[in-house]
Amino acid sequence: MSPEGTEEMTDSFLSIKNIRKTYGSVIAVEDVTLDIAKGEFLTFLGPSGSGKSTTLFAIAGFEAPTSGEVILDGQALLDIPSHKRNIGMVFQRYTLFPHLTVGENVAFPLRVRRKSASEIKSKVAEMLELVQLQDMADRLPSQMSGGQQQRVALARALAYDPPVLLMDEPLSALDKKLREEIQTQIRRIHKETGVTILYVTHDQEEALRLSDRIALFNQGRIEQVGTGHDLYFNPATRFVAGFIGNSNFLEVEAQGARDGRAKAVFPDGTQMDGVPLHTDGAGNEGSVLMVRPEAIRLETAASQGAGLPIRIFDTTFLGDAIQVDGRTSWGQTVTVRAPLSAGGAQGAGPGDTVNLQWNAEESHLFSNG
Amino acid sequence: MLLTFKTMGALRWVLVGLSVIVAIFLLVPVIFIVALSFGSSQWLAFPPPGWTLRWYQELLADPRWLASMLTSAKIAALTTICAVTLGLLTSFALVRGNFRGRETLRAAFLTPMILPVVVIGVALYAFFLRIGLNGTLTGFVIAHTILALPFAIIPISNALEAFDKSIEDAAIVCGASPWEARLRVTLPGIRHGLFAGAIFSFLLSWDEVVVAIFMASPTLQTLPVRIWGSLRQDLSPVIAAASALLVLLTICLMIVAALVQKGRQK
Repeated sequence: MSPEGTEEMTDSFLSIKNIRKTYGSVIAVEDVTLDIAKGEFLTFLGPSGSGKSTTLFAIAGFEAPTSGEVILDGQALLDIPSHKRNIGMVFQRYTLFPHLTVGENVAFPLRVRRKSASEIKSKVAEMLELVQLQDMADRLPSQMSGGQQQRVALARALAYDPPVLLMDEPLSALDKKLREEIQTQIRRIHKETGVTILYVTHDQEEALRLSDRIALFNQGRIEQVGTGHDLYFNPATRFVAGFIGNSNFLEVEAQGARDGRAKAVFPDGTQMDGVPLHTDGAGNEGSVLMVRPEAIRLETAASQGAGLPIRIFDTTFLGDAIQVDGRTSWGQTVTVRAPLSAGGAQGAGPGDTVNLQWNAEESHLFSNG
Repeated sequence: MLLTFKTMGALRWVLVGLSVIVAIFLLVPVIFIVALSFGSSQWLAFPPPGWTLRWYQELLADPRWLASMLTSAKIAALTTICAVTLGLLTSFALVRGNFRGRETLRAAFLTPMILPVVVIGVALYAFFLRIGLNGTLTGFVIAHTILALPFAIIPISNALEAFDKSIEDAAIVCGASPWEARLRVTLPGIRHGLFAGAIFSFLLSWDEVVVAIFMASPTLQTLPVRIWGSLRQDLSPVIAAASALLVLLTICLMIVAALVQKGRQK
């Protein structure tokens, strides 16, 4: 794999190619390939240990991948030492230099680059204004809250106009309210600066709120890359369907696969035609049906025709909606989240039998392996 | 239930009494020697029949005492520099290094603290005799650096352990070379540890007498060695004056160390 042999034209700004990282026999990153466009906000989402941070650290230069390459704006990155990559990074932990004031912290990368005093002064002021902390230039990090410290860290990481900004779970130590407040700021700063951002998080809500696209990591691989909408409504794998949002997974048999669709036959004989079928690479046909709780309609058992009958064992009032938990005739539990305004079998309570209906388009068939 | 001072009732006065006794026990020798240094008696009689500064005048007029003080200060200063430099490098290896036998190595570096000082003195004397370092400033500094090293390594490696390596990584991502990052970010970050290591090293060398007796020559004597020698030859109150000065500098350094510690906690 020669770093120089990649002359092909591509509109991707940052290219991650076949990154693999192993520690002895432990595989941290199996094989990650990803193209990121200039100015994009892309999030690495996934459970802990899925390889998202390791991939980010490889781009930053703190981890040398076992194999693979990273191309930034046409230049191979992995041979360049970390401090010469000109990449910005905000860490999970508070990493402001404790002996320097806020202003000196933001000035640090500029001092290292031997910028003139006047240039440093105006840039520091500009950056502190960007993160709305212009009055705090003379404070020490120990005199600031966690949220403020991370905003200063963001200002420091952007002070030298890096082409790419890496963020490794920067808000995970903050409480929920503060986190949402800073997420809004990060969105604004992304819009104002146009910097390309790679953001790591295990919080799907954060990923959905911030990103243009999400790369969902699982066991050292990317399961799916797409917008939040794509991942939610068109999950490529069962893992994606289970990780993003809430899902019901029901045992079925897929029959007559054709044009990416199949007929789902439930153990009790209920059938549903034209359900989108996803094969997980292995080629075996789907045998589990996924449907979101809010995609399901409740109909009274008496009402004629189709529907999967369940027996309700619990209902919960949620304000704008009602959550109904029931059990199929073969014993699987199903959760339904029905808006209060919807008609149908709204009034049904524990012990009642109701029929579940949904558009085939809104459910998916996956292999059960 | 937790035993606190407030809930102890009458027992607390017993505790106060005990503490006072222990404090007196610890302080009396020091107070005694300081009092004697101002006493007018030739024979170190206590209580002193009168008060005088004569012994301090004699001390400061005697070139041999002055030379010893200078020697002590010089050796202590050089020992401090060597111990802190080596302690810093060692701490980086022990804290950041990832190699087999790291814990064993850490224990090995702390042995000078555990071994009987006499044993180290004899060993160094025998070795230095062979390579001609006995009675030299170099030999003295090497010997005291060996003794001081654990006292430098402990506070410095503790500080380094507490310093988040992500902060150094952040400096590197910001564009600082690894060495620049350590120099401009990590060192200031662990400065309280370096300072504590420096004070401990200085004090160790300043009042060390056992190894110093082995290392000393008639022309190269530290203050504790001269005090020891004078004690056996002429029991003069000048010794008390010299001891008082030794104690004074030690107390000053301890106060500075305490102030630094307090400033850090704020």
